[in-house]
Formats: sequence, C-alpha cells, structure tokens
Amino acid sequence: MKKVEVLAPAGNLPSLKAAVDAGADAVYFGFRNATNARNFEGLNFSEKEAETGLAYAHQRGAKAHLVLNTYPQAGDSDLWHRTVDLAAGLKADAIILANLALLRYTRERHPQLPIHLSVQASASNYEAINFCQRHFGITRVILPRVLTVGEIKELKTHTDVELEVFAFGGLCVMAEGRCYLSSYVTGVSPNIEGVCSPARHVRFENRGDKLQTRLGGVLIAQYDEGEEAAYPTICKGRFEANHQVYHVMEEPSSLNILEMLPQVIEAGVTSLKIEGRQRTRSYVGAVTKVMREAVDAYYADPRRFHPKTSWIKALNSTSEGTCHTLGTYQEGWQ
Amino acid sequence: MKISIGPALFEWGKQALRDFYRRMAFETPADILYMGEVVCSKRNNLDPEELVAFARELQPSGKQIVFSSLGLVMTEGELATMRRLAALAREEGIWLEANDLAGLAIGEGQPLAAGPHITTYNTDTLAMLAEIGVKRAALPVELPLTSIAALAASRSGGAPEIEVFAHGKLPLTFSARCYTARAFHLPKSNCQYRCGDFPDGMTMSTQEGMELLTLNGVETMSDAVFCGLGDLEALRKAGVDILRLSPQSRNMKEIVEVWHQRLLGRLDGAEALARLRELNEGRAFCNGYLHGRAGLDFIDASRQQATWGL
Repeated sequence: MKKVEVLAPAGNLPSLKAAVDAGADAVYFGFRNATNARNFEGLNFSEKEAETGLAYAHQRGAKAHLVLNTYPQAGDSDLWHRTVDLAAGLKADAIILANLALLRYTRERHPQLPIHLSVQASASNYEAINFCQRHFGITRVILPRVLTVGEIKELKTHTDVELEVFAFGGLCVMAEGRCYLSSYVTGVSPNIEGVCSPARHVRFENRGDKLQTRLGGVLIAQYDEGEEAAYPTICKGRFEANHQVYHVMEEPSSLNILEMLPQVIEAGVTSLKIEGRQRTRSYVGAVTKVMREAVDAYYADPRRFHPKTSWIKALNSTSEGTCHTLGTYQEGWQ
Repeated sequence: MKISIGPALFEWGKQALRDFYRRMAFETPADILYMGEVVCSKRNNLDPEELVAFARELQPSGKQIVFSSLGLVMTEGELATMRRLAALAREEGIWLEANDLAGLAIGEGQPLAAGPHITTYNTDTLAMLAEIGVKRAALPVELPLTSIAALAASRSGGAPEIEVFAHGKLPLTFSARCYTARAFHLPKSNCQYRCGDFPDGMTMSTQEGMELLTLNGVETMSDAVFCGLGDLEALRKAGVDILRLSPQSRNMKEIVEVWHQRLLGRLDGAEALARLRELNEGRAFCNGYLHGRAGLDFIDASRQQATWGL
C-alpha cells in the first residue's frame, strides 16, 4: 500500500536537512523574493541554496516542491515567470502555484513540471479543482482549511487530482488566498507581498499590568501578567462583539490532526502537510519525526492506531502556549 | 461611468430583498443590479427559479440584471444550486457573476462576470478570464488605483469591463465558520438564523472601542463604509467603467442618487461627501486600499490628507 506522504516545511537549508533527516517524504520551500507566501525576512532560498537543497533531498529519496503562491501585480509578471523557469531548470519535483495566469504559463512552457494548486487558490470543491486540471493539468490540490473530513472524502469521489491537506501547525480559519483582514489593518497583503500580519507592523506594549498586542496600531488582544501572549493576527484576536469580549473568530490555536489521522488518510488524502516555513529547524525536525512515526504506526496496524502520549508531548512543546484543535476537519467546529 | 447595485450581502429575507431591488430598479438611476446569494447557502435568499421570475418582473426598468453566486463553495448542494443558477442564467440570457472558481468552472463559455472574490490581480489573469467568457471583472477590493489603471489599460477594445467597489462595507473574507452563530454560542449547523437580526451585520470592536469589523455570518466585512467618492476623477482616469454600490439597509436610494448627481457634476465633491456622511449616519469611512495603504485608512482626496479610519 502506498503510504500517505509526510510533507515538511523548509524555511532555509538547515530546516530542509532536519526535515529530510527526520523522515519527511517531501519538503516544500520558496525563493527569497515576492513570489511566495511566508516571505519573511531572513527566510527562504537563493538559487544556489535551492540547488543544494534539492540535491540533499533527492540523494535521500525525498522530493522537493517549490512554492510560488503569491499573485503577480498588474502587468508585472516577469519575476514570477523567471522563478517558474528557475524551478523547472532545477528539476523540482513539483511547483506550487495559485494564480491562473501563472498556471497557464507553467503548463505551456514546462509541460513536464508537475503543478500543485496552492491553498492560496482557494479551491474548496471538485468543480474548481477539475477546472484547474482541465485547463492546466494540475496533479494535486492543497485544500483550504474549510472542509470537514467527511466533505473531503466526498470531494475525492469526484476527482482524480491528488489531495494535500494541512495536518499540523498554524491554522488559517478563512478561505486562504481571499482574506483581506491583514491588509485591511496593515496595508500589506498576503496575496501581493506574501506576508500575513507582518512582524514590522506588530507591537507588544506594556500598559500598566497588561501586555497589549497590536497589528498596524490596532489592539488585537491584552494579557494579564503571567499569561502567554500570542502573535497578533486578527483572526485569533480578542475583541468585543454581541456584548462579550472573547476570541471572536478563533482561539490562538494551532492545528493537529493526529487524533483523526486514520479518518483523514481514509478520506483519500495523498499528502499530509506540516505548516511552518517561518519556524525553526528544531520545530521542523520535531514535528516531522512525530508525523513520520504516526504515519508508520497507522500503516503497521490501521485499526488500532492511537496517538502516543510522547507524540502529543513533543508536539505541544513546539506550539508556543497555544492550544491544539482539529479545526474544521471535525464536525461541529463550523 | 455606470452605477451598479451589488448583491445584497446581509440576511434580509425574501420580502425585504424584493422590496429593496424593486426600489433600486424603478426608483433609482442605477444601471446594473446584481442579485443572488453570495455569503451563505443556508440563507433564505431567492432561489434560482425565484430569481428568474423576479428578474422578469424587473425587466421593464431597463436595468441590466446579473445573477451573483456563492463566494465559498464547499458542498454538493452548493454546487447543485450553482449549476441550476448557471443553466437558468444561460437560458434567460443573463450574466452569471462568479465569486468562487466553481462559478467560473460551471459557467465556462457562457457570459460571466468575475466578482470581487475572484483573484483578478494581473493582466494575464484578466485576459485569461476573458477567454472563458468573462465580460466584466469586479476587481478585488484591496487593489490600489495603480493596479486598477494597469488592468484597465491592458484591455483591447475595452473588454472585459472593469468594475470597482465604490461604496459600502467591504467584503473582506469568508470562513467555513459562522461568526454570528458563534457570537450566540451556536454552531453553524444550528445557527437559528441569528444573522437575520443584524440587517447591516454585527459590529466587532477592539477592547479600546474601535469599531473594526462587521460580522456577517461566514463573511467578515469592514465596519467602516468604503467610500471612493473623493477618488472619482482618479477612477475615471484609471479607465473604470462601473462603480459598485453595495446594498445597506438604510438610505440606499438616496445614496445612489448622490453618486448619480456627483457623476453628472451637479454636486461638487465636498457637498456630495458631506451628504454621504449624513446618509451613513456617522459611520466611519475608509478608502485606504485605493491609495495603496491600510484598507481602513481614509484619505479625503479633496484635502489630500490621511486620517485614521475611525
């Protein structure tokens, strides 16, 4: 039986090596420019590093996917075209794209290069997915975090495009690629510049006995002494609505599907994606190792799969005081 | 430039929706009416068959009617509705506004409008959309004037038409989760249609009292009212064909009239803006996106001065 893929993030070369060494089947990374989301300072790959990274992965039997998932602006697609050409030249195992025009460019210029449809394309149904298969020959789609496991299973019966789902890490609660909350308060758009809630617009301020977190000057949350402050994003902020102060959209939680791993695999998913290109090498190594063990344990005895305490402990230690959730995969979250 | 009335984004119920669009059709100078559910498939909006009948009723107004469709499509039921809507639109010779890739996929080849939730960020994408049947693109709300101008300038023969969001609370994002239901500690599966109690959505404020966003079920919007009136000349120069005014529960007819008078030059900019402020009853304005700034900023172009969008 072909096992589900464990796909790990690589924000830099050391993380890529940590992921491959910890048993990742594949890694994904982007170039150090505006062509990819997670375009944070000090992250991502130069051409030379990409070459080294691909060689490292390939020598150890792992695949490498290259990410170009932002939207070129107006008439300015040159950088994106050059980056696609570069990825093809480096013989990446797949390229991850969101923009329709770039999908077409890639299909026409590099027919041999497998295309994965980015989560930023927001394809949440099989008509959208099959449309992109028909027009651009995509072989895989990364599903936005909006569907339950039941819905994913149903979707899979209507498409032969491979499904990749987020398994662990940061949790977008919006239809990705079409969320303007960050740009509404900072002016910086994930779709255009590749960054949600950029660090340069974030402030942590002490006010009396409270710690306040701000994004673009807007108060996102405040914490009592001793409380752990989450990174301020609007969708995880504490606001007032309907005469209550609460996490209006979602708690500062991160996604962890381990408890539902069998259902997710049995829904017909091809790849389990770990989020976190902006995270450290030790995070990548630790999470990849747990996912590797969990997936292997599932295939060793699918019906008796149960998450080990040691896995949960290892994962909890990576997630900065946030709680874990099954997110939208679980019925009732919506 | 023409004026369009966008799809009603709030849960008003069928009767109020019909009353609203009749008023827009027969009592305002708007040129185009978008009708149909964009936000939530659970809502009690007009179904595809009712939309067709209603479109026929409004036909004597001479307005172009376009059927808008769902922004985040996830289920088989939603796809089935999209197919019915697309088929009826085709039969009636009515354009379908796609707001999800599913709309483009199902409507491919028939006359389409790409709504603001389709990611038309660049000229290549616009050209590609035109090839599959898109006659008009309502651009993503976060695009600055420079991008709008570049997109408009890239067209040959003025097609597709370019539409921009010009007035109303900005639709910023969709989620699978319903935040209105959540505010009442209810799951979406048992939402009890609480969104129906908020004809212009529920305001979400920061703990400092800044009215930041509007919760509208699975949609999140700006709480400030986007107002591009001061940017009219720039939008015209950019090559924009259509200005979208997004439905709100109060004073919509008067708001359309102000825009119309301004377009005709019968009201000057300052007068028209003051009138819109009155009609929006003190709600904050924003237009930062047009100027490449945070969306919530408001730049009064007549004074060319940035003010915080409060």
